Formats: sequence, structure tokens, C-alpha cells
Amino acid sequence: MVVSPVHYIAVPLMAAFLIPLFAKISKELVRIVPGLVIGYLSVVSVILMTQVVNTGQPIVEVIAGWNPPWGINLVFSAFTGFLATLMTFMAFLIWIYSYRFKKVDDAVAQKYFILFMMLVTGSIGIVLTGDIFNLFVFMEITAIAAYSLTAFYRDRDGAEAGFKYLLIGSFASALMLLAIVLLYTQVGTLNMAEIALRMHTVPQAMKITIFTLFAVGLGIEAEMFPLNGWAPDAYSQSPGPIGVTFAALVVKAGVYSLIRVIFTLFDIHGAYEFLIIMGIITMVIAEISALKQTDLKRMLAYSSIGQMGFVLIAFGIGTNEAVFGALFLMFNHAVIKGLLFMSGSYLVYNTPSKEIKDMAGIGKKLPMVSLFFALGALAIVGLPPFSGFWSKLYILMAAADASFYYLMGTILIVSIIEIVYYFRVMGRLYFGKPQNDVVLQKPTFGGILSMSVLAVVIIAVGFHPDLVSGFIQSAADTLLDKAGYIHSILPNADLTNL
Amino acid sequence: MDLDNNLLMSIGVYGSAIGLILIGLYAVLIKKHLTKIVIGLSIIDAGIHLLFIAIGYISGGTAPIFSPAGEKIVANGGIMVDPVPQALVLTAIVIGFAVTAVALSLVIRLYRHHHTARIDQIKSLKW
Repeated sequence: MVVSPVHYIAVPLMAAFLIPLFAKISKELVRIVPGLVIGYLSVVSVILMTQVVNTGQPIVEVIAGWNPPWGINLVFSAFTGFLATLMTFMAFLIWIYSYRFKKVDDAVAQKYFILFMMLVTGSIGIVLTGDIFNLFVFMEITAIAAYSLTAFYRDRDGAEAGFKYLLIGSFASALMLLAIVLLYTQVGTLNMAEIALRMHTVPQAMKITIFTLFAVGLGIEAEMFPLNGWAPDAYSQSPGPIGVTFAALVVKAGVYSLIRVIFTLFDIHGAYEFLIIMGIITMVIAEISALKQTDLKRMLAYSSIGQMGFVLIAFGIGTNEAVFGALFLMFNHAVIKGLLFMSGSYLVYNTPSKEIKDMAGIGKKLPMVSLFFALGALAIVGLPPFSGFWSKLYILMAAADASFYYLMGTILIVSIIEIVYYFRVMGRLYFGKPQNDVVLQKPTFGGILSMSVLAVVIIAVGFHPDLVSGFIQSAADTLLDKAGYIHSILPNADLTNL
Repeated sequence: MDLDNNLLMSIGVYGSAIGLILIGLYAVLIKKHLTKIVIGLSIIDAGIHLLFIAIGYISGGTAPIFSPAGEKIVANGGIMVDPVPQALVLTAIVIGFAVTAVALSLVIRLYRHHHTARIDQIKSLKW
């Protein structure tokens, strides 16, 4: 079987638009087809990842026979491939979870799955593409699907959260388009490898202007402070599985593009310090906001923003060790926050409101779900037997090696805040007095299955971090190897001016 | 005289592009009506599109069509304008259209729930 990175984009996008036709044949096909497609993509991921690991060379797919730098190319390297594989597997688990999800009934399942497939296409496309304008197009595909899914429930708050997200998002995309226009006037190309090659010819003032526009435009998708006002509303108003998709796919794609712009495209002095400062502000403010939330999903959303701040800090340290920690944290965040949102959704559906105070004693009513939530909470604050511990440890070690002692202090203080608000919820779940014994919404079989898989991954990686650390290490090496990236796309390029 | 015309032309085109972006920004930031905000976003997009097309234009260039006739023009010393910005702007227009459609449908839904489309009267829309 011939597989290539282009299947990541072509297959789900085609399936998304064929779903209405499948619906004419059978209602059940609407639910099955997305699973088949994402299952196929998982197989593609495994095959391509094996190939990349065995040969040590990235796979560069040239679209429509136009060689880079003229045509669009897709790059499946150890770094982008790792993220694409992670996203594909998370998307598969989200599909299992949402297969019989309560609020996705037959009438709306069709719309839900079309938008979900577009979200998956866009997020993976952002990671794989090697063309800056193509990245913009995929970002817009993701964004339009994300706006619609935020407003998926036709209630008042959904429309407001969706409109707020749309306003911020389309403003961001306007800035990003402006950045691309200015970049094109300076370097005359859209291929990311060639942009990196010609970046030294751009005047410093112009470089900083373009970088600022990119940072603002992409920082919104990456939940960077102060551009993350959309996130808490979008997370809490969208359907449960979509909250997982935001945390595991959309935000990952946003962070990826920010990192790609900083690490590969630009070589500005101070960009790394910029990342550290923005990361600290994002993390501290988000965690303090999380502490005072009374709504469970908003609390998880702020925690998610805080984690992204942490990722930005780790990337900002910029050493190989720190980038390794950052990628490990991205992996952990996708898995653990996925579990937290999945179990959190069921906790929310079993309370009259979304408030944490109404969740007292739910641990006895829904033992499985509460156990999964507790596991996720323990893992995300970084307690030892779980996977979250390793990423935090590696980032702290990297900070110590680079003599960023104030960073270590900040991270540890923020960890205490994190522990406080997660343990507050767990205390309510297990030691609160239940208000009644009515179980409104039992988890479906698919829900239990996907949560179990995530829980097993968290524990397995916690005991054996080397299960994934090999992939993450080669991903970190690939990200930092700018010359290698350019060489793999433009083999005849002159790398002396880098 | 010819040069002056070109200069005036450039100032006019670039000036109106930047003007459009500023008008759009004004609408997005100051206006209270949701529809006007959406219009503002479209105007920002239009300004950026105009800027991009202006950048790709080479004065005296012809349409960049790869054909025998086009090749003949180039062989006779003629020049073509840069086709890349035009292709990109076409894509960006389509994207802008989709975003505007989604935005307007959300405005309609907000109006049905609140019976107003003024952002300052939609109290629960907190930032």
C-alpha cells in the first residue's frame, strides 16, 4: 500500500464533504465513516513514522509536481510526524468518545462529524505544511470549524462564545495575512525553508515588525496571554469532545506554528526571551484565574492556558533538553487534559449547573468517571508515578542547567496553585455530601473505553518514559536542526549564510 | 511626467489600502453594533487584499498567463506582473467570505436570543 503525507489532508477533507451522501444511505454510516478515516490515518501515521525512524530522513511530499520552492510541499519529519501522529491518535480516541455521546444525537451528528473532520484536517495540515500561506489556509479551515463547533449548541451562551472566538480569531488571521504579505515583499517566496534561507537579507526593523504581527496572530491560537480571552468560553460552551479536540489538536497546532516561526523562520535576538516572558505571564495569570473559577470547564480551560504558558517557557529556554521537555509536556498535555475534559464532561452533565460546588459526592455515584478525573488531576500537577511528572522534571532540569533559577521558583510556586485547585475539586468529589442519588447520564461504552486507553497511557508512560522519549528526543533534535530542515526541502541550497 | 504619474498612482493605491485597514480597525474597535463589527472585519481584509495586489503589480506588466501569446510578449522584452499575490488574494477572498458568512449567522442567532444586536446591551458577553 502506498501511503504519503498528503493522505492526512485529502482523505478526511473528502470524507467530510461525502458525509451528507453517506447519510442518505444509512444514519449509522455518518458515525462510522469518520472513525474509519481516522483509523486509516492512524495506520498511515504508524507506517510513515516507522519509515522516518528507520531512514532518519524526513519525508518531503511535493504537491502537483511543482518542486519546492515553487509548489506547496508537505514535510513529515521526526518533529512534525510526532505531532501529526499524536493528533491522529487523539482524534481517534475522541471519535470513540463521541460515537454515542449524549448531546450528539442523530439529527445533528452529521454536522458535528463534518466539522470535526475539518478540524482534524486543518490541525494536522498546519503541522505538516512547508508553505507559509498554506499554513494560513489550514489555520482558517481549523478556525472556521472551531467557531461553528463552539456555537454548536444552539443556546445563548454558545452563540456568544462562538462570536467572541470568531471576532478574536478573524482579527488574528487578518494580522497573520498582513505578516505574510510583508514577508513576501521582503523575501519574495512563501516556502518556509527558502524564507529561512533568505531571512538574513531582511532589515532588522522589518523583521521585528513581521515577527510581531506573526506573534500576535499565532499567539491567539496558541492561547498566549493576553490574547486568550476566547479560550475559557470556547472550552466551556462547546460540546465535551470538542473541548478535548481544542486541547489536544487546535492549541497544539497553534503552538507548533508559533514555534516554527521562531525556531526556523526568524533568527531574532530576544525572541527566546520574549517566549519566556510571555510564557511566565500566561502561566501565572491563567493559574491564578483557574484558582478562582467556580465552573469546572472554565477551570480546566484556564489550566490548559497555564500549561501552554509552561510549554512556551520551555521552548524559550531553547536548549535541546528544554525543547525535549516542552515536547514531552505537549504530549502529556494532550493525553492528560484529554482525560480531564472527557471525564469532566460527564461530571458536568451529572450536576444541575456546571459549578464545582454542585459536584459534591459524585465520586460515589460515578466511581469510574471520578477515578479517571482524579487520575488526570494527579498526573497534570506532576505527581511521580504518572507521566506528567517526567515532563515537569525535564523542564525544571533544563531550567537549572541554563541557570534560570527564577524560572524554577516560578514554576514550583505555580505548581502549588495547580495542586490547590485540582485537589479542591477532588475533595468535593470524594468527601462531599451527595445531594441526591440520581445519575443523569451514565458514561457510554465508548466513553469508558477511550478514557481507559488514556489512563493506561498516562500510567504506562509514567513508569516507562522511554516508551515515548525516543520519539520525542528525535523530534527535539529535528526541530533544532534548522540547516537539516532546509537541506531536506532544498537539497541544493547554499547554507553558508544561515 | 510619466514617473510622477506612477508615483501618484502608488501613493493612491497604498494609501487607500492602509486607509481601508484603518477604517476597518475603527469599526471593529469602536462600533457597538455586531453587524458593523463584521463589516469592519471585511474592510480590514479588503485593505490587506488591495495592499497585496498592489505589491504584486509591476508597472507596464501584462497578465501573467503562460501561453504562446504570453511567451511572445516576454520574448519581445515585455514584462508580466507577479502572479503569486493574485492567486493568494483569490484564496484569501474565499476564506474571508466563509468567515463573514459564519459571523453573520452567529449575529442572527445572537439577535434571536437577545432581541438586540448591540454589543453593549448583551450583558453576559464578558471579556
